[in-house]
Amino acid sequence: MLKVLDSAVPVACWSCSVAHNESTLFCPDCSKIQPPSTGDFFSVFGIERRLNLDLAALERAFHRLSRQLHPDRFVRASASEKQWSLADTALVNDAYRTLKDPLRRTEYLLKLEGVEMGAPADASRALDQKTNLLEEVFELNMQLDEMRAAKKAGQRNAELEETLRQARKWNAGRVEAVDCQMREQWTRWDAGDAAARTAAQRELVALLDRRRFLSNLLRDVNEILKD
Amino acid sequence: MAYSDKVVDHYNNPRNVGTLDKSAAEVGTGLVGAPECGDVMRLQIKVNPATQVIEEAKFKTFGCGSAIASSSLATEWIKGRTIDDALKIKNTEIVKELALPPVKIHCSVLAEDAIRAAIGDWRKKNNLDEPAAAEQVK
Ligand code: FES
Ligand SMILES: [Zn+2]
Repeated sequence: MLKVLDSAVPVACWSCSVAHNESTLFCPDCSKIQPPSTGDFFSVFGIERRLNLDLAALERAFHRLSRQLHPDRFVRASASEKQWSLADTALVNDAYRTLKDPLRRTEYLLKLEGVEMGAPADASRALDQKTNLLEEVFELNMQLDEMRAAKKAGQRNAELEETLRQARKWNAGRVEAVDCQMREQWTRWDAGDAAARTAAQRELVALLDRRRFLSNLLRDVNEILKD
Repeated sequence: MAYSDKVVDHYNNPRNVGTLDKSAAEVGTGLVGAPECGDVMRLQIKVNPATQVIEEAKFKTFGCGSAIASSSLATEWIKGRTIDDALKIKNTEIVKELALPPVKIHCSVLAEDAIRAAIGDWRKKNNLDEPAAAEQVK
């Protein structure tokens, strides 16, 4: 799925023949566009693989590349260069969208690291936590159903509405807590050795699972309390 | 996304939606969730203690159409089967019956997990040992 070229192997520029180690979209020497990059999303922007990102720098890199890839610049380029610029544009957009979003970035990095999603190694504890969460999610969904039925019948159920409002507050708080824990694990991963990274990855998988249940729930509660 | 006719049918007329008394000894409850999407499913069975036949099955699913169809179908299939027979149901059979596309396979896995969880709960309640092979965690 994701192929990462060993960046230690130098690639020669098709135009000026100078070899460069980094897989960049443009040759650092003659600045000609290069054949589609086989690197990951981080290497697209020439940044290190890590979870705490300088988002402002990422945005600047994105805008710089978008400018460099603008079709106007390839009007007189060869057919392959034109084609590469189009492929790169799609890649850059994809990479930016993924990396700027905290959850997608985390998921993406875990995938790059070959971590299997939804299979927490710390199964017993995760399961324990999860069963409680599942029960809550389920109960709340039942209440949402009830609320929908009441609405459809043109009734107002003030008590239920209040319960849902409470649930929303409570769950928004939990989302925040999960995000906070996730950031802790980011730092642990970024700074850690292999062992620390493996441990952080395990935590992150569990946190992402939890986050998905909570996000769905919050979305549905918001939907029903909207009007 | 285009759902198959069978999925649409189960979605529009889900079979066996409902609740059984969770505290009853003959009732087993399986509550499972798909971490991929955050959907949840509850499947309950009522088992005849003498014959170990599943006499009733109910479900309630908060999730996508495929998950609803998978659990609806699962309740249809397990009703009238013995516990051991019900455990033989594989998610791949559900995929085939409902013509689920690859991205919806996890929805059928959820249904298989729910059957196992419900049976596991019933066994635990009734202090029945789990046959080691069948309960092997995947
Ligand atoms: S998409 Fe979640 S169970 Fe189908
Ligand atoms: Zn060059």
